Amino acid sequence: MRESSTVPEDVKQRLNWLLIFIVICFLILAISLWYLQMIRGEEFKGRAVENCIRSLAEDAPRGRIYDRQEEILVTNRPVVVVSIIPAEVDDLEKLSERLSKIIGIYPEEISQIVKNYRENPFKPVKILDDCNTNMTVEIEERKDELKGVILEVKPRRNYLYHDFAVHSLGYVGEIDKEGLLQYGNQKLQGGDIIGKIGLEKYYDGILRGEKGGKEVEVDALGQEIATLLYQKPVPGKDLVLTIDKDLQLYGENLLFDKKGSIVVSDPNSGEILALVNRPSFNPNLFANGISSSDWQRLSSDTDYPLTNRSVQGLYSPGSIFKVVPAVAALEEGVTDRKRKIYCSGTFELAGRIFTCWKGIGHGSLSIIDAIANSCNVYFYTLGKDLGIERFSKYMQKFGLGEKTGIDLPEEAIGTIPSAQWKEREVKEIWFPGDTINLSIGQGYLLLTPLQVHHIITTIAAEGEVYKLHLVKKIISADGNTVEEIKPEIYKKINFSSDTFKIIKEGLRQTILKGTGWRVNIQELAVAGKTGTAQNPQGETHAWFIGFAPYEDPEICITVFLENGGEGGEAAAPIARAMLEKYFNIKN
Amino acid sequence: MKEKLDRLTENIDFALLFAVVFLCFYGLLVLFSSTRLTATAGSDPYFFVKRQSLLILSGFLFLTIIIFIDYHNLERVSKVIYFGAIVLLIMVIISGRSTYGARRWMVIGPFDFQPSEFAKIALIMFLADFLSKNKLKFDNFLYYLFPFIYTGLLMLLVFMQPDLGTSLVYLAILMIMLFVAGIKIKFLVFTILAGLSSVPVLWIFLKDYQKNRLILFLNPNLDPLGGGYNVIQSRIAIGSGGFLGNGIFRGLQSQLNFLPAQHTDFIFSVVGEELGFVGTILLLGLYAIILWRGIKIALEARDLLGSLLATGAVSFLFFHIVVNIGMAMGMLPATGLPLPFLSYGGSFMIANLMAIGILLNVELHKVKW
Repeated sequence: MRESSTVPEDVKQRLNWLLIFIVICFLILAISLWYLQMIRGEEFKGRAVENCIRSLAEDAPRGRIYDRQEEILVTNRPVVVVSIIPAEVDDLEKLSERLSKIIGIYPEEISQIVKNYRENPFKPVKILDDCNTNMTVEIEERKDELKGVILEVKPRRNYLYHDFAVHSLGYVGEIDKEGLLQYGNQKLQGGDIIGKIGLEKYYDGILRGEKGGKEVEVDALGQEIATLLYQKPVPGKDLVLTIDKDLQLYGENLLFDKKGSIVVSDPNSGEILALVNRPSFNPNLFANGISSSDWQRLSSDTDYPLTNRSVQGLYSPGSIFKVVPAVAALEEGVTDRKRKIYCSGTFELAGRIFTCWKGIGHGSLSIIDAIANSCNVYFYTLGKDLGIERFSKYMQKFGLGEKTGIDLPEEAIGTIPSAQWKEREVKEIWFPGDTINLSIGQGYLLLTPLQVHHIITTIAAEGEVYKLHLVKKIISADGNTVEEIKPEIYKKINFSSDTFKIIKEGLRQTILKGTGWRVNIQELAVAGKTGTAQNPQGETHAWFIGFAPYEDPEICITVFLENGGEGGEAAAPIARAMLEKYFNIKN
Repeated sequence: MKEKLDRLTENIDFALLFAVVFLCFYGLLVLFSSTRLTATAGSDPYFFVKRQSLLILSGFLFLTIIIFIDYHNLERVSKVIYFGAIVLLIMVIISGRSTYGARRWMVIGPFDFQPSEFAKIALIMFLADFLSKNKLKFDNFLYYLFPFIYTGLLMLLVFMQPDLGTSLVYLAILMIMLFVAGIKIKFLVFTILAGLSSVPVLWIFLKDYQKNRLILFLNPNLDPLGGGYNVIQSRIAIGSGGFLGNGIFRGLQSQLNFLPAQHTDFIFSVVGEELGFVGTILLLGLYAIILWRGIKIALEARDLLGSLLATGAVSFLFFHIVVNIGMAMGMLPATGLPLPFLSYGGSFMIANLMAIGILLNVELHKVKW
């Protein structure tokens, strides 16, 4: 039987209030759901997709570099990189501590690296770059307690002969902010490896290849569920250099404890056979990401091991430069084969006394004798007679003040003084005495060893100058030749053949009976010129330029020794050794 | 017995029962979706679903038993039930199985049993009995403190496990039941103010992870991969469902495991992602039916005891629903309260069905037999 309820009225009233409260709460929930799902639905949909689609880059192996005999110089080796995926780490402090015991990096440092990286928590953060086998094995074994730690195998640049031709080869490193801006359109990302200097930089686009990659669907642990897209990386192309490994190595040993450079090239093609620069450094230091202490040591070394002296260094050329006024004077008719000038040991101009290196004087000399004995007074006279305007014209004809166009990115252009140059840079008018200094390669004139080399090449090739270059051909990764670098005429200089003949004779006489006697090799007719350049830095620079064989030049050589002393004494023997090496002459 | 069954079919609230059964199936579907790829125990994709089905069945067994015992018998046993709950909670602190640094479970045969869930039912029964007997005395403020002491004891024991969320459920049940029992509003206001002012003191007793949760509730982006991760991922999941959802088994967040605790505390996010606004509103609608019928049962109850029992059951479910869904949407702190009828978890599921049993019992006994 139904009886009337005894529930008090105030309780019923309160129950109605409770019902209203419940309805309000449910309305709030429903409105929130409407907002989250209907209004912001699309936005969250995007975030959900972003959450689980990941692009993983796959590095393309960088092209190898060979010498002219296709002997390998630079390759890649696989290294194991230890990284942490922040999103997978449960307890960073604990993990850092465990990992620290294996890889020997302070736990605080490990956690700091991970914390500092806030970009994408699913992207591995590099902790240790090149971990050794023991570490690799230990990390593999303890995988379970190292959740979030991954090992990745990456190609690492490997310079097989360490500092061999390092200034030409260059080195690679991670792209920096500037690089990212510069290469903005080339799909490069932070952390990518690019060529930083040298051939690695100049031919970066060829060596680098194209990064591949895949888009994968991943779960919350970052584990790959499925591959949605895969693009195979395109390996970089290989370079075959014009450098002859043996000759280069031989030159490097000759300059082992010296500062300076040697350039050896073929005047008939512009191919550089050796480009020695000393002192040097080990590019592998950079390939691993150079440590700040190493960088500090290298960059503050007062011997400047990082400088590529032959293309970046600017030096007074001294007497080797005399070839230029000699050519100018012959071409302009200022002198000829027969004109003799008397050298008393001094030369006076406008009350200033200029001396010859030989105090007692050379007596009466023809241009050939003047070149052979490097008589200053003869060239002072030519300089005075030419005047700076005509002198400048010939320096231009030689291509001085321009880059030689070598396939290296860091080439300097030097300082080629002229009347206009002096007014602009020094804010002084050109004095006749400046021309006198210039005519023996002193004064304001500063050239790179490569530009100096251009002078001798011009003479050896009689005006048909090929562009100096370091790369002979480019080979695709599958071994098919892609591109043969054809010799390219850099400049055709129309000096009369008589001029070349006279200069060459002078250079030959230099070796036979002049300052270059130390390069007088019985089996080989060498022509050349020595130079001893005064400079504000101290001891004179020693220079030698030359070519051989005299009749039909096969190679040109430039030797430069920074603060190395007398050209004939210091530079010439090195040139001799190089020539003997090249022509296989046993002494 | 025959008579009872007749009365049952005559008086039972079919809307309520329908909503509950529908929810149980709804829950199993979503549970299957969220666990089929990761299910453990011999990687049987139905592992969790099978277990949960078994628990639902045993829950209905409890429900049936509860229905047939006239709630007026409670007067005799309410104290026993209350002290039984206390004893169990002490036992679990001493000898319970611990997970994640908290001792919440007792192992009984193949099942883990969570006394704090049953203590919710015990508390509802005890408070209903106590409040209905002493309604007139509550004008005395001192007497008004008694229910707080009884509830506080349970809260303290659960808090020691530690389980902040569940102790808040006890508090919510108490406050709602007191409100419905007709306590003076000024007492309740005073209590709330006193409670708020004691928060700084309580803060000292909170475990670090509990403090972190509260801080991260205020700004989940402080630690997007740590404590804030759950909430961020959960919001992404719900939001990305849009109107119709990605379709069952097709949620990116849930199927790829971006959602943590997606079969327990965050199962609502799976509903949101895979079934969309339609699915979540359907769910809210089913809950609304249960709560509405519950209030209706409380209103039509034969006496105050029945009314308060129904109120207790409603407040228990209501608090869990709002806090869980609010948490999944990032509106409330992550207190780890499961969602009634959906979240995986045996003791909780049985407690849910016992609460429904209480409602049906009150409804069935609104007339004297």
